[in-house]
Amino acid sequence: MTPDFPILTLLVFLPLLGSLLVFACWRSDTLVRWVALAVSLVELALCAWPLAVSDRVAFPGAPAGFFLFEDATWIERFGIRYTLGMDGISLVMVLLTAFITVIAVLVSWEGIKERVPLFFALLLAMQSGIQGVFLSLDLFLFYLFWEAMLIPMLFLIGIWGHGRRVYSAVKFFLYTFLGSLLMLVAIITLYLMHGSQTGNYTFSLHGMLNTSVPLGIGVWLYAAFLLSFAIKFPLFPLHTWLPDAHTDAPTAGSVILASLLLKTGAYGLIRFAYPLFPEAAHAMTPVLYVAAVFGISYGAWVAFAQEDMKRLVAYSSVSHMGFVALGIAAWSPVALSGALMQMVNHGITTGALFAMVGMLDERTQSREIITYGGIWGKVPVLSFFFLMFCMASAGLPGLNNFIGEFLVLVGTFRVSPAAALGAFLGIVLTLVYTVRLVQEVLFGKENKPLELKDLSLREAGVLAVLGLSAVYLGVHPGPVLELLKAPIELLTTVK
Amino acid sequence: MTLADLYSMMPIVITGGGALIVLLCGPLLQARSVSWISVVISGSAGVWAAFTPPALTPSFPGVAFTPLAQFLIPLFCLSAALTLLFSHGYNERRGILGEEYPATILFGLFAMCLLPCATNLLVLFLALESIAFAFYILVTMDLNRVESGEAGLKYLLMGAVAAAFTAFGFALIFAGSGTMALAGALAATGNRVIISAGWGMVIVGIAFKLSLVPAHLWTPDVYQGAPAPVAAFLSTSSKVSAAALLLILLAFSPPLAELRAPLYALSLLSMVLGNLAALLQSNIKRMLAYSSIAHMGYLTLALLTGTREGYAAVLLYGAIYTAMNLAAFGAIASLSLDAERDQIADYSGLGFTAPLRGGVLALAMLALAGIPPTAGFIGKFFIFYSAIRGGEMTLAIIGIVSAAASAYFYLKVVVHLYMHRSNAAPPAPTPAAESLALCCASLFILGLGVFPAPLMRIVDAAMR
Repeated sequence: MTPDFPILTLLVFLPLLGSLLVFACWRSDTLVRWVALAVSLVELALCAWPLAVSDRVAFPGAPAGFFLFEDATWIERFGIRYTLGMDGISLVMVLLTAFITVIAVLVSWEGIKERVPLFFALLLAMQSGIQGVFLSLDLFLFYLFWEAMLIPMLFLIGIWGHGRRVYSAVKFFLYTFLGSLLMLVAIITLYLMHGSQTGNYTFSLHGMLNTSVPLGIGVWLYAAFLLSFAIKFPLFPLHTWLPDAHTDAPTAGSVILASLLLKTGAYGLIRFAYPLFPEAAHAMTPVLYVAAVFGISYGAWVAFAQEDMKRLVAYSSVSHMGFVALGIAAWSPVALSGALMQMVNHGITTGALFAMVGMLDERTQSREIITYGGIWGKVPVLSFFFLMFCMASAGLPGLNNFIGEFLVLVGTFRVSPAAALGAFLGIVLTLVYTVRLVQEVLFGKENKPLELKDLSLREAGVLAVLGLSAVYLGVHPGPVLELLKAPIELLTTVK
Repeated sequence: MTLADLYSMMPIVITGGGALIVLLCGPLLQARSVSWISVVISGSAGVWAAFTPPALTPSFPGVAFTPLAQFLIPLFCLSAALTLLFSHGYNERRGILGEEYPATILFGLFAMCLLPCATNLLVLFLALESIAFAFYILVTMDLNRVESGEAGLKYLLMGAVAAAFTAFGFALIFAGSGTMALAGALAATGNRVIISAGWGMVIVGIAFKLSLVPAHLWTPDVYQGAPAPVAAFLSTSSKVSAAALLLILLAFSPPLAELRAPLYALSLLSMVLGNLAALLQSNIKRMLAYSSIAHMGYLTLALLTGTREGYAAVLLYGAIYTAMNLAAFGAIASLSLDAERDQIADYSGLGFTAPLRGGVLALAMLALAGIPPTAGFIGKFFIFYSAIRGGEMTLAIIGIVSAAASAYFYLKVVVHLYMHRSNAAPPAPTPAAESLALCCASLFILGLGVFPAPLMRIVDAAMR
């Protein structure tokens, strides 16, 4: 491959091509599964390419920090360009996306029995949208991917979901759609302001970075961005779509929602909202602090009260993402790298927990905690992994979540001790609901005589890979932090 | 008049002559051949117009092949051709026989081709009313349905009032300026009061044609009563030609401050009430009627900025809106049985049992909601961009919020198509003509959503 091989374009559109390929094989469900798996594995393998060149400091013609960059004219009338770029942050998110999609394909292997080709095609199309979000450097292009990725998710929840699937799917869609449209107004306004100041009408992120926005207007524009991202995040009190969507989605849908879609909100805040409106973002930091700290405790508190395991994990996401928001609000190198680590770690552990709840659900058709109890003796392998991911989620040192939460707390404490203290109290609550989950599901008395089978080879493989990455990131986060270091330095010095 | 003038007028000649030929020779031919001949006639007129260089000097008194005409005539021809493709199977199932149907469509198309060529108030008015005249007939074409006749009568009565307003408005402008030629009449500086009064009358008339709130009341009933392919043609070409009329008038006028208030109110009410009323509908054609009211509100929003960008947005949106509504009504027509599927719930599960038509309907709904990567998003983006650039921030935000709410009722159709089950037998396979038309419209929707730059260049050329 030559240096100007369009690897980023390939990363974005390979899954979409794969989804067409999946459709072409619609006659055999088995073939469809294998094709989907092959495509997602090829995508994961392709990530080795940027990983290999990530030490190269700059790409000729690219903004600082970006080691891969593609740029082409697209809609010249508005100065809209097809600009993709990858720095360390993008690379980490792209890797996570490729990894989690493989997991999502594998956890749907047997659970999805109806309309199999459409399911896997949508899953791969979804991946294209998410990769596009993580790689776009043109606001128009970003917006396009940002909205386009909603459509596959709408169908995934609405067709293969459980319970009130249609209600949840539409609620998820409308919530995010409204937020995004207001962001579009802000993008257009910024574009016009920049154009009239410099005469250069462009949607490029790095072109618009130095627009001088009066604080009075900037606060409104930033608020529109924040609203859109906070809904995806989700930050309290904009989180109400999340428990419904997570609970009613099929397992792979929940995994992708929790592990990837929520991350796009945080990513957008880091990549676009803060750099574009540094003053406004600074002025509105207290809002983010309050939402983050309150979200951490509130999510944990509500998770404790849940009877449905999926809902419990969903609310725990609200709590964990609060740490990400806290790290972003502090905006110091340590806190920000903690936030990004937390994004990766939450993606792995919560993805794993949703996968496990899905596995239990496939076995007993029940997600109620009350159904289970005392399963440790019956299914030791499954129980081991369950315990492990619960502990990781609770932030046990040596497992991955600890690193992110620790860095966020350390980073925040220097900037705002009060917020760090509030978040610390939230951790205690996290322990409470996790211990309850472990105790009532794995240990305690057997509530119902359940016929449980232990993990199949496929399931054990999926969980082992997730478990190994959790341990690896827990004891040796260095390589990931190294990737994040340079772009974070650039981001924090801009302010 | 030279040969070149005749060349540039050929689309009008082809469509007008074609209508007569179809009417005369139709009885001798099979209905299928008549349909295909009509498709070829409208197609060839469109191709001719697309490849003829525009001329600014009138070819005939009152008629010139302007750049705007070069843009709009192919659009109208495409719309008519697709409508004809959708109509054949639909009409056969309903016993709408005879050549008068394609002939009337071609006659309407002839008037539509004439409208953007007009350089004279009288020609403009005649073209506008000829379009309406064709639709009075088309709406009532399904003689076996009572609603069809009722809709036709309602449309005729309302349309007559609108025509009276427009005629009186034109008369006042003529009285104020002393000339019928567009350039002279609208730019006249004396007698501003009379000309402004004329403008007011014209706005009322066009508000009827565009079905802007509060002149929208006929729309849901007419859409519901008209045969689905006719509703497709009515909701696209007739709307776009009315918008084009307003565009022509505005382009010839000096900036008119007194027009802003009425257009602002019409746009605001149409966007908000159109979308709100659509939320409550359970009949799919009534829902699409209210949706088209809202979409015309968006168009008016771009028009009232009075800027070049706004006018370009109107043209681009007109083209995109044509594709979206043709796809939606085309799928409805193609999915209809002996009777149309009226209720949104009647479409349950059709996304799987009729994949092509269900898919196109879903695509059209997503496009109407303005979700990327469809052309609907590009259109909305251009509209709201031009509004913000033109300084209409408040109205743009109101419009965007109402557009967000509109996603709910468009999604309702998608939800029924894919997320509800039905026990009904799968519909008959799609005839080739309808597949062709549906694929054509969807290609337009998706292609423009990803590569809008070529169409934007064409629109900019049409503004010259």
